[in-house]
Amino acid sequence: MPVSTSDPTDTPSPGADEPTGVPTSDPASTVVVTGASGWLGQNLTRALVGRDRIRCLVPAEGEAAPLALVSPTIEVVVGDVRDPATADRLFEGVPAGTTVFHAAAVIHPHASTREFFDVNVGGTQNIVDRARRAGAARFVHVSSNSPFGVNPTPDDVFTEDSPYDPYLGYGQSKYEAEQIVATAGDRGDLATVMIRAPWFYGPYQPSRQSQFFRTIRRGRFPLVGDGSQRRSMAYTDNLVQGLLRAEVADKAPGNAYWVADAEPYRLRDVITTVRRALEAEGLATSGPELLRLPLSLTGAKLAEKVDVVLQGRGRYLQPVHVLGELRHTIACDITRARDELGYEPAVALEEGMRASIRWCLDHGEQL
Amino acid sequence: MRTVLITGGSGYFGSILSELALARGDRVRVFDLNPPGDGTASRVEYVAGDVRDVDALRSATEGVDVVLNNVAQVPLAKDRELFWSVNVTGTANVLLAARDRGVAKVVHTSSSAIFGIPESNPVTEETPGRPLEAYGRAKLEAEHLCHDAAAAGLDVTIVRPRTILGHGRLGIIAVLFEFIAEGAPVYVLGSGDNRYQFVHANDLADAVLRASDREKPTTYNIGATEFGTMRETLQAVVDHAGTGSRVRSLPATPARVGMQGLATVGLAPFAPYHWLLYAESLWFDTTKARSELDWQPQHSNASALVESYDWFLANRDGLEGEHRSHHQSPVRLGLLKVLKRLP
Repeated sequence: MPVSTSDPTDTPSPGADEPTGVPTSDPASTVVVTGASGWLGQNLTRALVGRDRIRCLVPAEGEAAPLALVSPTIEVVVGDVRDPATADRLFEGVPAGTTVFHAAAVIHPHASTREFFDVNVGGTQNIVDRARRAGAARFVHVSSNSPFGVNPTPDDVFTEDSPYDPYLGYGQSKYEAEQIVATAGDRGDLATVMIRAPWFYGPYQPSRQSQFFRTIRRGRFPLVGDGSQRRSMAYTDNLVQGLLRAEVADKAPGNAYWVADAEPYRLRDVITTVRRALEAEGLATSGPELLRLPLSLTGAKLAEKVDVVLQGRGRYLQPVHVLGELRHTIACDITRARDELGYEPAVALEEGMRASIRWCLDHGEQL
Repeated sequence: MRTVLITGGSGYFGSILSELALARGDRVRVFDLNPPGDGTASRVEYVAGDVRDVDALRSATEGVDVVLNNVAQVPLAKDRELFWSVNVTGTANVLLAARDRGVAKVVHTSSSAIFGIPESNPVTEETPGRPLEAYGRAKLEAEHLCHDAAAAGLDVTIVRPRTILGHGRLGIIAVLFEFIAEGAPVYVLGSGDNRYQFVHANDLADAVLRASDREKPTTYNIGATEFGTMRETLQAVVDHAGTGSRVRSLPATPARVGMQGLATVGLAPFAPYHWLLYAESLWFDTTKARSELDWQPQHSNASALVESYDWFLANRDGLEGEHRSHHQSPVRLGLLKVLKRLP
């Protein structure tokens, strides 16, 4: 049971080689992970191997066996995160004192924005309720930059004190999910921690993400404006480290933290760094280093307006959404995670992108 | 006496593997959608089941010492979902059942399709997989699952065969035999100078069984040691047949486009693997298998293809109408009949 505060040097510090320098408790021997077969979930679940029991929720039967293979300590439950009976099965036999990592969410729904709310809000309520009844010791919630919208000025960075300003359907749903988690935390039902992750990248990426590499490789990723807008990004291993710190750091309960790579990147640097990473992994690039299109800014503004109208009618089109968001700065400051969680991002953009590219190639993706 | 579970044991290669395992004195249990053929039916235990059903696999794996995993949805089945669920999820299920039942050794049959068109030859066990189409991608993903299972303590070895030949082998090869038997010309793409390696099913089965005797997870690339170009291999069987058939060249690019076009509209029995690889060189360095497993292939490219052809001739009349796996059934020629009538 993770109860007593101990000397950090006595505590195995999960996910990092060095002591965290902040007071921590022992990690839980039993953990519950939702969204375990997803992009982040795969990375997190693999990092948790070594715990006594890892109870995982996946949405489809076909995703169960590949995950279960990774370790005999992984127990996979198949079901819908929105379904209370599924939550009962997920927590069946799970002892009090467990840590729950809630990573299940919809980011690009198939067509309707309804899914955002059903899954991201309803699913969170369902898992929070069940975790509380199971006597979970800590609930680590994966949140997003989306409840905060975009930075008001290009040199602004979000801190934990920035005001909410949800960006469209996804942002609103993740905002409501944060409210559910915060309420449970405030009531004293659960020790909750929220980890706000921006745009992330890394192994186990879904196939749709290969398009990002293909487009940049061929010089077809449009630079919107002059490309000086900044983006915080999180390499999956960095993010996993943040989640594992959130589990054990004594100061964490009741708080939310931005977790990302050390510094935000200018969008133009993201593009040129990815091209360098592709070259370094033996993939020749073509086309212009930076694709400047006339009216790119107007196009992005237009896409944003179209996105707003569509989502107002409950419709979702991924390319429109992505293009619409591109012109903005979405940057955050990780100082608080460093100070209170002992979080220290170990991987930066080029190294992380190279690892992602290698992973894609090793899994037969054609970039 | 050890008990060996052969998944896909009623299929083309699975049947031959069953036969060799029986000959070695193994007790053989076959897990397959279809019952085993007459050759082995009375000597093996048959469990009907689908690899997509992990519970069926768990019960089939009870009391089993060794699992030889040969289930695959081969390139001729062009359904992507099916590729994935059988080749990937199915493999995960087999590995999981083996682990849960404490099976001592698993040998997983992979495919050279994971290499796509290699940058250079020979391809070794260290060459990274870079598949070009859905079948190769699914087989590569299955290998990753084997590595995951091995990292978690399961003893699983991967065997990657080149294109399998031998008595009873039909599928896409039957197109070729049909042409040769009728005295019609057979075609290579371009010059046909690409070095293309086959492996005889018996040689492969021997390698799989030898791999099953050896502890610790590893990988072996398996192919004939005597092989030449595609043109030489076809020439050997044309000479053997003596039907007046000749080897002809088709310009590679238009032929590829034609194969793809005909396949897309369902008029010819090709899958992407065929038009991508037929004119390319792909051959394995088999040093590792020969030295670690003391394995020596008995067949060359030519002798394997000749044997397949002779079997085809002897059994040609009885082939239609039987309901067997893709590699045990002749494909429908479709529009290729037109090619056959060319002088």
